[in-house]
Order: sequence, then structure tokens, then C-alpha cells
Amino acid sequence: MPRRNGTTATEPKGSALYEVLKGIDFERRELVHKPRGVGLFDLVKDKGGAYKCYACTLCERTCPVDCIEIDYCPEFEELPFDVEAERAAALATLPGESCGANAACVMGEQPAGFMPEIDMKLFDAVIAGIRGGSGLVQALHSTQEAYGFLPRVALENIAEEMRLPFSRVYGVATFYGQFRLAPVGKYIIDVCMGTACHVAGAPLVVEAFSQELEVPVGATTPDGLFTLQTVNCVGACALAPVVRLGEDETIGRVGPNEARKLVRKLRKAEVPA
Amino acid sequence: MTPLAKPSTRIGKALKAAADKSAYLADDKKAEIRVCAGTACHASGRLALRKALDKALAERGLTDTVTVVETGCHGFCEEGPIVVVRPQGLFYPRLKPKDIAEIIETSVVGDGIVERLLYKDPASGEPLAHEKDIPFYALQDRIVLALNGKIDPYSVDDYLNHGGYTALAKVLEEGDPMGVIDEVEASGLRGRGGAGFPTGRKWRFCRGNPGDVHYVICNADEGDPGAFMDRSVLEGNPHSVIEGMTIAAYAIGAGSGPVEGYVYVRHEYPFAVERLRAALAQARERGLLGENILGSGFSFDIRINQGAGAFVCGESTALTASIEGHRGMPRGKHIRTVAQGLWGQPTNLNNVESYANVPWIVNHGAQAFAAKGTETSKGTKIFSLTGKVVNGGLIEVPMGATLRHVIFDIGGGMLPGREFKAVQLGGPSGGCLPASLLDDPIDFESLVAAGSMMGSGGMVVVDDSTCMVDFVKFFLKFTAEESCGKCVPCRVGSQRLLEIIERICDGLGTLDDLERLETLSEDIIEGSLCQLGGSAPNPVLSTLRYFREEIEAHIVEHRCPARVCRPLIKYTIDPDACTGCHVCFGACPTQAISGERKEAHVIDQKLCIKCDTCRQVCKFDAIPVVDAQPALAEGRQQ
Repeated sequence: MPRRNGTTATEPKGSALYEVLKGIDFERRELVHKPRGVGLFDLVKDKGGAYKCYACTLCERTCPVDCIEIDYCPEFEELPFDVEAERAAALATLPGESCGANAACVMGEQPAGFMPEIDMKLFDAVIAGIRGGSGLVQALHSTQEAYGFLPRVALENIAEEMRLPFSRVYGVATFYGQFRLAPVGKYIIDVCMGTACHVAGAPLVVEAFSQELEVPVGATTPDGLFTLQTVNCVGACALAPVVRLGEDETIGRVGPNEARKLVRKLRKAEVPA
Repeated sequence: MTPLAKPSTRIGKALKAAADKSAYLADDKKAEIRVCAGTACHASGRLALRKALDKALAERGLTDTVTVVETGCHGFCEEGPIVVVRPQGLFYPRLKPKDIAEIIETSVVGDGIVERLLYKDPASGEPLAHEKDIPFYALQDRIVLALNGKIDPYSVDDYLNHGGYTALAKVLEEGDPMGVIDEVEASGLRGRGGAGFPTGRKWRFCRGNPGDVHYVICNADEGDPGAFMDRSVLEGNPHSVIEGMTIAAYAIGAGSGPVEGYVYVRHEYPFAVERLRAALAQARERGLLGENILGSGFSFDIRINQGAGAFVCGESTALTASIEGHRGMPRGKHIRTVAQGLWGQPTNLNNVESYANVPWIVNHGAQAFAAKGTETSKGTKIFSLTGKVVNGGLIEVPMGATLRHVIFDIGGGMLPGREFKAVQLGGPSGGCLPASLLDDPIDFESLVAAGSMMGSGGMVVVDDSTCMVDFVKFFLKFTAEESCGKCVPCRVGSQRLLEIIERICDGLGTLDDLERLETLSEDIIEGSLCQLGGSAPNPVLSTLRYFREEIEAHIVEHRCPARVCRPLIKYTIDPDACTGCHVCFGACPTQAISGERKEAHVIDQKLCIKCDTCRQVCKFDAIPVVDAQPALAEGRQQ
């Protein structure tokens, strides 16, 4: 199987194609890592040699430069998916100067291009709170209440107002699980991962949401509608597995199928057919 | 209602004056409808129910004569939303808005009972009309939860009418802070947050340490997944916690210096925060909190501090760091928080449930409290019983009750057709106990001896459909994620433990891994700074102790006995049971199921991602999960 850059990385020696190609002198390329690169990517194999990847397409959706392509080809029994993320850094000259190896596919980074406007008027309440003697954690809470997340400019203003170094404010904001540094969607889906919910099958529910929304946990859909999160325990264990929609609505006894239906229902309400 | 100590005295008068005579009071003799407004009942449709109730009452012109009271958690969360009709005390569980009209016609206007909607005894199928008849309630001994579900958490008058703040008045009256400490110490009350340190002794230490100001903090950062006692107490009866904290503040600070209070409550509990805030405002308004409480000259106020989703902040030094506005990282405990806690001042930190016990002890005396429980663990303890039991919810029993009593008598046993496998106590720091220990008493010492711990009181029951290795993986994932990262044994060690367990789950573990788990666990316990790391390996160790066979099945036979671990199972369709109804066909997210209508379907194993959706939607149990062992064993040989 020839790669797009002309090498035959996945073709075993001795095959018919190899015989044809071995005589051709391909241009040799140096492997150059991009400045932000974190190295070469490969898919994990189990001991039997089979790929662990089951083509959930999450990495394909997440990659900010579209350098991963997942393509089902039934004729390839051994390697059904043509996954170009393999040696992605080496393939940096592929269509459209693709992978910058910023590892969004493996680290689940926010898809780029979704940033609402920051209205600094909303920030006055936070400043008033700080002057009223509220602590840093409370100030961050009220900022998040106002914007739905913690914009950098707000953190800078908090630091200035409280006469703290920015690093300290940032450090606190990143320590606590409830604070978000990226904007959130209109619907925030919190899947409870408490013990009772786990026993009742919460991991399957998270996975169903993730597949249906096509984003990993912690990310927002590119249309800005949904944010998928997990929460440690909402304390409604008798109704496990529990999903919280926004701040107010708690839905009990959610299975994978209900999860998918919920997303479809909300989507339908947003985009009238 | 408990009579006041000396009603004629100045403080007694002030307490009497604090109550608003014209306010509505919940009363056992009046016609009223009590709707549970706890988080679980809220999630099962409390709002719609309330709306239907208001509408039905208005239609019949009963709005003025019949009052609707929204109470705190009744505890029987499995059966929500719960409505109790007074004065008969009829208990209606699992109501739908359409049932409301019938209930009002029969039980409010008339004097009948809607038998169709009553709770049915799972054993006999008999309908039971009253709370006191239902085994779930009848077998409990409620001290802290006594008023939960009886009073309106938004009404301080309700609490006052049920004997609230009499304990505070008594303490202020006697004017003997050391006497209070002696009383609490004599009662044998131990911290309900998990470690079980004697509360009275902690107060004494705190009082003995000099400082500019003493802090009294209530730890409501109930981070243990599967535990919700503190939330329910705060939601159902916030004044009991305020009263307990004020008594503690008096015992610690009266005559020695100023005292200030904080409640550190989880941000994930919005109802609890809201109700606590309202209760604090009311208490201040009535002179039960703030400057010069009840005219006694003693001043104390409480502030709310919300957490932000960090499990480690339940640890005392991390909690104070968080209030101070730092990352919630614990410090070494060579100097205890009672000596140097919040802002470097002596700080007394107790759990919600500990404070809520204090008014009862003051009112009834240390002897009455010490009469309940065992030799070393006194009083009662609330457990949140969840998982695969029939009656999930909040359970308050005297210490020393057996696990069997709690799970099978009160909890109603396992779900039909399922077998008890283990009970997990103490959250991520606790351990899993097998069926052979069901007759052990629940107290601090025997749980530790069994390799678990009391923790804050989460009790998760699992049946044979839960894989113990996967269960341990869940807890390790939790602790690895929640480790604050300050010290290496916890940060790196828990991650390594998780990797080993994951390997075993994937069927790639070796028998050496078991030994490695043991030694690594010991190292983490030994080397960690705080109790998060110090107890993180408990689930591993207890599972190795009681469920070793199951772990070995993963390693040696590449088999997951509970059929949970994905690499070791596969989904198949039983052609005899499959009716070809096509339901799974539509539900499958990867289109792995094929087949004609009314003919047996098949699953394409290459496309199947083992998401369990098909098995859950199948009405005919036609999708058995089987071992994928032969294929894997072959793969390993290659």
C-alpha cells in the first residue's frame, strides 16, 4: 500500500508491490520535528499484534489540521484502518502542511475556532466580591458563573485586583476540577462517575456521549452546542447512572441508548429540520 | 418537643422571642402535604409533581387549608419522588403528576387511602401505608436524621418548634465551656468524617492552643463518590449543623478569645449551599448567630466557602489551604491543625454529621448517647447505601450493627436474581468486603481490621455482574486523578498501580504483578504525606486479600468471571432467543448488527465496540456476553 509521500511504510518486503517499487529511487527526507512537536505517533498494539484502535473517529475529529483519516476497507483484514497518524510528524509535508504534532489527537485538546466575546461589564460583580472579602476560589467561581469559563483576561484582572502574581491565580484555576479555561457549549453534560454510577455502567454512558457528540471528555463540540464533562459524584446515587444537564437538570437511570437519544433530541431542538 | 432547660431565665426568654408566632409550622396534626425536595427526588421529577399538586389544590379551592411543605431528604431515595400526606402520615412513593388528583380526592378531601400507589413490601407484596411500618424506616435509629423530612429546611421556626436551638440555649445558660467539652468527650462521639478521632478531645486540644482567633470549620466537602449523608443533612436540616457548630465554638472559644466559623461545602451540591445560606441568614436575623447570641454576650458567625471539585480538599490541611486561596495541597502533620490551621491559628475541623450529633448529646446527655453503639464506637452512624440493593438511600443505625442487618434487613437485599458479591465501604480509601464478613459489626476498629475503613459512610453493594478488578481500576483511576501531585509515592505510585491493574484487566498481567501490587501498595502507604495517598492502595490490598481468585482468573485463564473487562469478552446473539425484532439493529452505533427482520441477527465482531447498548435494549435476553478467551490465548502464543 503506497503512502501519499511515496514511501511504502506498511507494505511488507517481498510483496508484489514491493518488487515493483524497490527499483525506484525515492527522494530521502530527513525527519524534522516541528518546534512544538512531542515526537512520533504510533498506534498501540496488543501482544497479539492487533491494533487497539477501534476507529471511534475521535482523533480524526479532534485533530486541528485534519491529518488523520479513518477509512474502513473490508479487504484489509489485518489493518482495516488507514491511519495516517502513524508517523504523523514524519508526514508533515502532507496535504496542506498538516500535522504540527501538537498532539491534539492524543491529548484531547479543544478544537480550535470557538471563542465567544468577553464582556468585561460582567466582571464588575467579581471585583465587587473581591473587595467584599471573598477569597480567590470564590472569585474564580463567580467569574465562571459570569462567563461559563475562566477567560485569561479575567484571570489577569483578578491577579491585579488581589495583588497576586498571575502564576498563583493560574495555578489555583488549574488545580481544581470544576474550573474550565476553555469556553463551554450551550448544554453542559456532566456524567456522574461516582462509585454507584460506575457499578451501574457510567463508563459506557460516557463513551456513548463521546461517540454521539464526536468529542472526547472535557471538550466542546465545534458548533459550540455541547460540552461533555465528568463529575465525581452528584450524590443522587439511588438513581445511578446519573447525568446532569446544565446546573439544574438531573436525569437518572441513563443508559448508553438513552444518552444517544438525549443528544439527538437536544440537537433536533436546536436545528429545526 | 424537648422543654427548655430553665424557661424563665434570660436566654430561655430570648430563645422564645426568637420564634415567630405567626409563621407556619409543620405539625403532625394539621392537614398538609410533604414533598421531598432532596437531590434524588428532584432528579426523579419533584418539580413537575409540585406543579401538579399546586394546580390540583387550587382547582379544589384547598390552597389555604392544605399546606404543601418541601422537606429535606426522606432518605428512601430509591423510591423518589416521595410525598407524605398528613395528618394520617400516608407515604406515597414514586409518584407521577397524574396520580396527584386521585390522592387529593381520596386522602386529603376524604379520609381514604389510595392502595394502588402505596409502597409494597418487597417480601410479601403487602401495601404499607405509613413510614413507621416500612422496614426501611422501622429498623433505623435516627438521631441526626430525626427531623429530616419532617421540617421545612427554609423555616427556622419549624426547627425551633421541634426543639431546635434548645441545646445551644442550655449551653449558653450554663456558661461552662469546659463542661460542654467534658460532656461531648464522655459521650464518646468520634469524628464522622472517617478517621474517628474523638471529637471532645479535639475540642479540648483546640481550646488549649493559644491564638489570636480560633476557627471552627465544618467539613462538608463530601468527596467520596457514592456518599451523600452530609449533603442530605445540610439539605434537610441545616440548622442542626449551625447549632452544633455554635456549641463547638462556644466550647472552644468562650472566655478565651474570638471564634470564627466556616463551612467548606462542595460546589457540586447547589441545593445544600442554597439552603445553608438561607438558614444562616435566618439564624442571624433571629439572634441565634452573629453578635451577642441570645443575649449571652457570646459572638460567633459562620461563612460559607465553596470547594471547586478537588477530592484532596477533604483533608484538613488541604482544606485550610483552599480557604486561604491556595492550591489545595496538604502539608505534613507534624503540627496539627488544632495548633496551627487556617491562617496559622488554632482550628477545629469536624464533619457535618459530627456537628449535627452535638445538639442531641447536649439535650439528652452523654449517657444516652454512649448507651448506643459498641465499646469503642458510640452513637449512630448514617450510611448511604447504594449500588445493587433493592432499597437504596440513607440509613442511620447504631454503631455495631452488622453489615447483613444493614444490607439485607434494611436495604432489602440484592436485586432479584442477583447474588451478593462484595460491599465497598469508605470510598476510594476503603476496601471491598466479601460475603464471609457480612456478620461483622460496623465500627471503626473492626472495619480497619478487615482491611476497609468507616470513611464518611458510603456503602456500595455490588453483585456478581461487577468485576472486582475493574472495580479496583475505577478507584485507582480516581485517586490517581485526584492526587494533588505534591509527594512522589502518591503521584507516581498510584499511577503505576493503575497501570498494573489495567494490564490485568486487558488480560496481559502476570502472576508477578500480584506481588508487585503488594509491595508497591506498602511503599505508597508508608511514604505518602497525607491520607489520600496513605489509603489509596486500600482497595487493591483488600481485593487481593478477598478476591484473589478473580484476579488470577484474569491473569491465568484470560477470563473475566463477571464478563466486564472488554478485551476478555465478546457479544454474541443467541439465535434461539433472538426474535429478529430489529431493536438492537437500530441502537447499534457502529452498525455491527445485521440480519433480516424476524430472523436471528448476527454481530460482526470486527465492527463491535462492546458498548453494551444492544444487550441493554434487548427485551429477550438474546445477547449473551461470552468469554473471548480462545482468541486471546492464541494471540499470546504467537
